[in-house]
Amino acid sequence: MSAAVALQPLPKIEVKHLTVNYAERNREFTALRDVNFTVEEGEFVSVIGASGCGKSTLLSVLEGLYQQADGTITISGEPLSGTGKERGVVFQHYSLFPWMTTRKNIAFGIAQVRKDLTKKQRLEIADTFLEKVGLGEFGEKYPSQLSGGMQQRAAIARALAMDTEILLMDEPFSAIDAKNRIVLQELLLKLWEDGCGSDGAKKRRSVVFVTHDIDEAILLSDKIVVLTAHPGTVAEIIPVPFERPRDRKTLVQTPGYGQFRNRLLSLFYNDIAERIGGEEVVL
Amino acid sequence: MATAAITAPAAKAKAPAIPFAGRFLRVTHLLFLILVGAQFLPDHASVTDAHTPWLIWSAVGIEAVTIVASLAIKKKEGLDLFLDIVGFIYGFLLLWTLLTAKLALLPAALFPPFGKILAQGAEDAPKILINIKSSVGIILQGFLLALVTAVPLGLFLGWNARLGSAATYLSKFFSSIPPIVYIPYGIALLPSFRSVSVFVIFLASFWPVFAGTMSGVLHVDSRILDSAKVLNVSKPTMLLHIILPASLTQIFLGCNQGLSVSFILLTSAEMIGARDGMGYYVKYYSDFGDYTRTIVGLLVIGIVVIGVTFLVNALQKYLLRWKK
Repeated sequence: MSAAVALQPLPKIEVKHLTVNYAERNREFTALRDVNFTVEEGEFVSVIGASGCGKSTLLSVLEGLYQQADGTITISGEPLSGTGKERGVVFQHYSLFPWMTTRKNIAFGIAQVRKDLTKKQRLEIADTFLEKVGLGEFGEKYPSQLSGGMQQRAAIARALAMDTEILLMDEPFSAIDAKNRIVLQELLLKLWEDGCGSDGAKKRRSVVFVTHDIDEAILLSDKIVVLTAHPGTVAEIIPVPFERPRDRKTLVQTPGYGQFRNRLLSLFYNDIAERIGGEEVVL
Repeated sequence: MATAAITAPAAKAKAPAIPFAGRFLRVTHLLFLILVGAQFLPDHASVTDAHTPWLIWSAVGIEAVTIVASLAIKKKEGLDLFLDIVGFIYGFLLLWTLLTAKLALLPAALFPPFGKILAQGAEDAPKILINIKSSVGIILQGFLLALVTAVPLGLFLGWNARLGSAATYLSKFFSSIPPIVYIPYGIALLPSFRSVSVFVIFLASFWPVFAGTMSGVLHVDSRILDSAKVLNVSKPTMLLHIILPASLTQIFLGCNQGLSVSFILLTSAEMIGARDGMGYYVKYYSDFGDYTRTIVGLLVIGIVVIGVTFLVNALQKYLLRWKK
């Protein structure tokens, strides 16, 4: 390898020619076809697309839960194999274990990556992260005693407290009511922009955030990967041109915001319109 | 700051205080007075051993406990339920008193006055305690043995899909054999009645607990498993901290089933070949036509089973306190 290439920083995640075929009831269909994109160090990348475009499949592949994929994925240059301690995950549901209190849930997550800490130290870290997501008083509650939004806060707290280099988020706010979703988006944005490592380090994580909410994607991301369905392919990869730190109110008044949003919307709906016009619609 | 948006889930509305009248002016207490009053009616001429003071003092004891408990119970539904149950007991005792000691409408040998049952129970208390100890000891030993083998085995086989499905079929076969038919073989195999009983209780509890654990493991929500997998948990952590608690509801189902079968089995076995135990006590005295002691035995068995069930339920409630 030449010196010039070595100086080039490696992308945190590189997805190359990713193809996923599913076999269901003896019928094979393609969930993802030739998907290519990269996530740089400290970059927030959203993957958007209508339901059935394979965006959740893509995330399961990155999580290491789905392993029958073709193509190559590298994490910091190393080929991905299975689940890994450098990736933290927030799911839409059931990220937390119902039989552990919220602080035990977080401490349990920390225990999987930091064997060197004592139980007391892990609980202390858990408490600081509960504070950060505004759940300071709810450490001793079980998930079933919390609202959906509070459960997602705790799940985010766990993923952050584990201090992984990469954060994978699979529609984490989709099941939350509109008002709380906005609050949670802003919380995530702030925590991510602040960095907030468990040792106080201000290093932004690399994030892959799956959503079907265009406004959510624009608010949070540096880059948006738009997928179209049947099969799931990358329609376009669009850098988000708006400056950080962002907040919702100023963002929507920024010149060019409406235009940018419309462009995404048309990509989104063209896909749907094409499918309705064609024969692939399954109702 | 985002924290401001957080509010606690609506605090449970505080139950309104139960007024004095609602707490103490109840039919149950009226029944108590009638029951005690009825004891002062003259006994039927043929009845000589009514032991009426035993019944009166027992009723007074129940009433005292009831009053203390109804001060402690906070929820109206709980209080109603409790007082209704006590009311049924008073009603039953009143009816029994009238039909036996006072009017002698039932054959005296089969239906002794309730005071006599109580007096007999008190007289036999040391003997009964030994029998309870023997029965409960055997059940505990057999059941705990089943628990410490069936749960780990169920967890392991449930988690290993291939071995697990073979084990499911085998366990279906073995659990379909009523454990009581193992008794003759157990007697040939093992040296004492006690060891045979433990063996049979073990078999009776093993299969339901094993099947419960397996089905618990197989039905763990895949989203929970995914969540654990992406945390990269080790195999032992997966089994102990994820699969085991996630299967706990089903394990308890198996335990309850195993326990109730165990009691049926043990008391039956004790009636056949034992020298002690509650089943033996009932069978022994009914052979002599001593139905007072037979009834004492029946009541004691009921109380013991209720007591054990209560303890298991309390443990279950504690261990599953994270459920809604």
